[in-house]
Amino acid sequence: MSSQVDHPAPTDARHPGGLKQPDLKTRQLRAHSVVAVWVGLALVAAGAQQTLPVARWLAVHLFLLGAATTAVMVWSEHFAVALLHARRPDERRSDARLAAVNLAVLGVLIGVWLDRPVLTGAGCVLLVAALAAHLVVLVRMGRGALGGRLARVVGFYRAAAAALIVGAVLGGLIATGHAGPRYYAGLRLAHIHVTLLGWIGLPVLGTLFMLWPTVLGVRMTERTTRVARWVLALTGGGLLTAVVALVAGRRWPAVAGVMAYAVGTVLMTTLLARTIRRRRPVSAAAAWMLGAAAGWLCAGVAADAGVLAVRPLTEAGEDFTLLVPVVIVGFVAQVLIGALTYLLPIVLTGGPRERAALRAVLELGWPARFVALNGGVALLALPLPDPVGTAGLLLAAGAGAAFLALLVRVLVRRGGGAGESPSSRRPVLLGTAGGTVLIVLAVLVANSGGGTDHPADASRAGGNGAAVTRTVDVTLAGMRIRPGRIDVTAGTELRLKVTNKDAQRHDLKVEGGPATPLLSPGQSRTLDLGPVTETRTAWCTLPGHRAAGMTMDIVVRNSTDDMAGMHDGPTAVTDDSNPDLSAGFSPGWKPRDAALAPALAGTVHRIELHAVRRTIEVAPGVRQQMWTFGGTAPGPVLHGRVGDVFEVTLVNDDPAMGHGIDFHAGSLSPDRAMRTIAPGQRLVYRFRAERAGAWLYHCSTAPMLQHMGNGMYGAVVIDPPGLPKVDHEYVLVSSELYLGTPGSAAQVAKMRQGAPDAWVFNGVAAQYAKAPLRAKAGQRARFWVVAAGPGDGIAFHIVGTVFDTVYEEGAYLVEPGRPGGSQVLGLALAQGGFVETTFPAAGHYSFIDHDMRHAEAGAMGMVEVSK
Amino acid sequence: MGGVGLWSLVRFLHVTGAVLWVGGQLALSLVVLPLARRMLSEDARDRFAAEAGRRFGLLTGALFLPLQLGTGWAMAWHKGVTWASLADPGYGRTLAAKLGLFVLVMLAAAGHGIAHTRGRAELARALAVASLVGSLGVVLLAAALPAT
Repeated sequence: MSSQVDHPAPTDARHPGGLKQPDLKTRQLRAHSVVAVWVGLALVAAGAQQTLPVARWLAVHLFLLGAATTAVMVWSEHFAVALLHARRPDERRSDARLAAVNLAVLGVLIGVWLDRPVLTGAGCVLLVAALAAHLVVLVRMGRGALGGRLARVVGFYRAAAAALIVGAVLGGLIATGHAGPRYYAGLRLAHIHVTLLGWIGLPVLGTLFMLWPTVLGVRMTERTTRVARWVLALTGGGLLTAVVALVAGRRWPAVAGVMAYAVGTVLMTTLLARTIRRRRPVSAAAAWMLGAAAGWLCAGVAADAGVLAVRPLTEAGEDFTLLVPVVIVGFVAQVLIGALTYLLPIVLTGGPRERAALRAVLELGWPARFVALNGGVALLALPLPDPVGTAGLLLAAGAGAAFLALLVRVLVRRGGGAGESPSSRRPVLLGTAGGTVLIVLAVLVANSGGGTDHPADASRAGGNGAAVTRTVDVTLAGMRIRPGRIDVTAGTELRLKVTNKDAQRHDLKVEGGPATPLLSPGQSRTLDLGPVTETRTAWCTLPGHRAAGMTMDIVVRNSTDDMAGMHDGPTAVTDDSNPDLSAGFSPGWKPRDAALAPALAGTVHRIELHAVRRTIEVAPGVRQQMWTFGGTAPGPVLHGRVGDVFEVTLVNDDPAMGHGIDFHAGSLSPDRAMRTIAPGQRLVYRFRAERAGAWLYHCSTAPMLQHMGNGMYGAVVIDPPGLPKVDHEYVLVSSELYLGTPGSAAQVAKMRQGAPDAWVFNGVAAQYAKAPLRAKAGQRARFWVVAAGPGDGIAFHIVGTVFDTVYEEGAYLVEPGRPGGSQVLGLALAQGGFVETTFPAAGHYSFIDHDMRHAEAGAMGMVEVSK
Repeated sequence: MGGVGLWSLVRFLHVTGAVLWVGGQLALSLVVLPLARRMLSEDARDRFAAEAGRRFGLLTGALFLPLQLGTGWAMAWHKGVTWASLADPGYGRTLAAKLGLFVLVMLAAAGHGIAHTRGRAELARALAVASLVGSLGVVLLAAALPAT
C-alpha cells in the first residue's frame, strides 16, 4: 500500500459531508495558535525557573499539559478520521472538547499557582470529563467505519486518552493533597509515567508508523500492521503494569512494565530504521527530528528502567525528575517540532507551491536548530557540572524559541490570508503581545523571592533598635516541616534557617514574605522575615506538598499591652518563649566585666548613682528596656573594707516614676535614707560598712518585685580583714530575667508566678558562655556571689573543681588546710559570699547555678583555663 | 523628614520625565497619529508621522534619556543601592527588573527607528507598540518600588 493512501491530508472529497477546506484551515490555525501560546508561556516559565518556586512545575505543565495536550487532541482526532476512513466528528463538539480541555488546564495551572486546591480539583474533574468525551468519540469513530490498513494505530490514541484520564486523577490527588505523605512518592512516579509515556508517548509511537514513511516519501513496509499490534500490546500493557505497580509501591513489577515498554519502543525503532531508503525525504528536517526524538525516547525509557531497578521508589523520584527535561525536550518537543514542520504546510495550504513555500519557512535554519536542540539535550543528560547543564537548557530553549518564532510567523501569515485580521492591526497585536510578555516576565522576576516590603526595608523604616531577633532551624523532610509551629511575640525579627533533609527537593514560602529557591537534598538557605507582626503560615510550594501537610504556622502573640499607669515609657519588644541562648550577641556587644575592681582608696567613698532607664542586650540578640542604677543592671559594684563609709548620692533621672535605695551593707533607720524620691530629686544615703561580706543593694520603692525584677539591684563587697590575695577575683550577681515591657501586666504576671524567661549572672543570660573568663592552670580564683533574686536563690557550682574556701554570710564554712571541701555555695535570696578554688589543669570549667532549670536557661558561664 | 528638599526635586524630575516620555508616546499613538491618518492625505500623513517620530526620538535621546538615567542613578546612589543588592529579593530585584525592562523598551524603540528607515513599516509599528506597552510595565514596576 502506498503511503499516499493513508496520507493525513484532509482531502475532504473522501468524506462526504466533511468540512470544507477553509473551515478546517481556520480551526487548525486557531488550535495551533493556542499551542504556540502555551509553548511561549512554557518558555517564559522555564526562563524564570531559578527564581520562581513553582516555575519548574509550571514550565513542564504549560508545555505538556497545555501545548502537547492541545496538539495531541487535535492530531489524534485528525489522524483517527484519516486512518479509519470515518466521518469527521461534529465540528462544534470537537471545538467544545478542545475548549474544555484548555479551560481545565488553565484551571489546574492557576489553581496550583495561586495554591487554590478547589480550583485545581475542579480543573482536574473538567479535564477528565473532556478526555472521557474524547475517548468516547475515538471509540465510536471505529464503529461502522471502513477502517484502513493502519486502523490499529487508533488504538494508541484510545490508550493515550485513557492514560491522561488516569494521569489527571493521579495529578489531582497529588496537587490537592489527597495523596498524603505516605503514598506521595509512588503516586507522583505513576503520574509522571502515565502522562509522559502514555498520553504523550503512545500517540507519538502510533503516529510514527504512518508519519515516518510519509515524511520519508517511501512505502510502508509490509510488517507495519503486525508490528503496530505488538508495539501497542507491549507499550500499553507495560505501561499499565508499571503504573499499577508504582501506585502500589511495588518496585520490580514496575521495572518489568517499563522494560516491556522499552522493548516496544525498540521494536518500533527497528521498523522505522528498516523503512529508510536511499531517497531524499519529503522533509529532511522533519525526518531528522522525528528520528532523533525516537532515539531520545528509547534512551529515556531505558534510563528510567535503570533508575527504577537500582533505586528504591521513595528515592527514584528525584533521579527521574532529572530525566524528565531530557524526555520532554529531546522527545516531546522535538516530535512536536518535527511533526508540525511536516504537517502544518499540508493542513494550512491548498497547492504544492504554497506548501513548499510554507515548508521552506518552517525549515529555515533547521540544521542549526537540530544541532542546538540535540546538543542541548545531550548536555542536560550528561552528569556535568551545573553551568554546563544551564548552557544545555539555554541551547535547547533557544532552538525551541526559534521554531516558535517561525511558527508564529507562519500562523500570522496564514491567518492574514484567511482574512481573520486586517493587516493594519497585525503589528499592533504583535507589539501588544510582545510588550505584555516582557511585562509579565519583568513582574515575575520582580516578585520572585519576596515583596518590596522586604525585611531590610521594613526594619530600617520601623525598627527602633529594640527588636528581638530569633533564628529558628527549620527542616524539611518526610513531607513535614519541623517545627510545625513557631510562637513569637509581635515585632520579633524572625530568621528561618531552612534545611532540606529529604531525598527529594523542597522549598519554603512564607505567606506574604520571602521564599527559598528549590533546595536539593542537604541544601540550606536562611529566610529573613524581618519583624513579624501577624500570624502567618509557611509551606512548600511544590504542587501537592502543602496539601499533604508541608505547612508551618508562625503564631504571633501580643504582650505589649497593659502598661501600668505610672510605668509609661517606650515599648520594649519581647518574645514569650525563652531566648535562643545559642544565638550570637549583636555586633559590638561587650560582656559585663566580672573582675572585681580593687577596693576604693581611702575610707570614705563618695558615689553618685543615677536611676535611669536603659535598653540593654539581656540575652543573645534580645534587647530589653531595664530600670537601672547607673545605667547597668546590676548597678556598679561597691568595693571597700570593714569600717569604710559610703556616701551614695542617688539621683532620680527616671522621668516617670519614683525610686529609692536600700543598702543591706549598712545599718541605719530606713525612714529617710530609703525613702522614694520623685523624678529629678536627689537623695544622699550614707552608711558605714561595719561588717564584711557580699551584700545586696536594691531599689526600695514599691512594688519592689517590679523594681528589682527590672534590674534595680547591685552588690557591695566588703573584704574580711586579712583576706589573702588571689590570682583572679570575680563578682557574680545572680538574678532572674523577665522579658516584656517593664511594668506590663504580662511581665508582672510572670514575676508573680515565678516564671522568668531566663536566669542570669551579672544581668545577661549566657554572657560568660559566649565570653568566657580566663585563667591559667594552677591559678587560684575567688568568686564573690550575691543572690539578687527577686524570686530565686542560687546553688553556685564550678564543674570540675572543689571549693577549698567557702565564705557565706559573714563566716568561713570551709577553709584551706582542713580536710573538708565544698561543691556548692548555696545562697538564699539576698544572701552573699565567696568561694575559692585552684584550677588543676587546662580545660573548660563551667560555672553554673546547679538548679539545672536555671543553668539551662542562662545561669551558666565558662572559665577557660590555659596551660 | 517632611518638606520639599533636594531629593524631592530629583524625584520630581525623574517622575516628570517618565510622565512626559510615556505620556508623549501615548498621546502620539492614541491621539495625534490616528487623527493624522484620518485628516491628512497619504503622502502628508507619512511625512507627518516620520517627522513626529523623528522629533520625539530626538527629544528622547537629548532630554528624556539623560534625565531619566541621571536622576535614576542619583536616587539609587542616595538610597545606597549596590550592584549586589540588585539581586536581593524585594526592592533590589524589582529595581533590577525595572531597569532590565527599560533596556528592552529602549532596544525596541531603537529597533523601531531602524525598521522605519529601512521601510519595514509593519515591523516598525509592532516594535513601537511593544515599546509603548513595555514603558507602561516600567511605570508599573516603578510604582511597586517604595518611595526613596
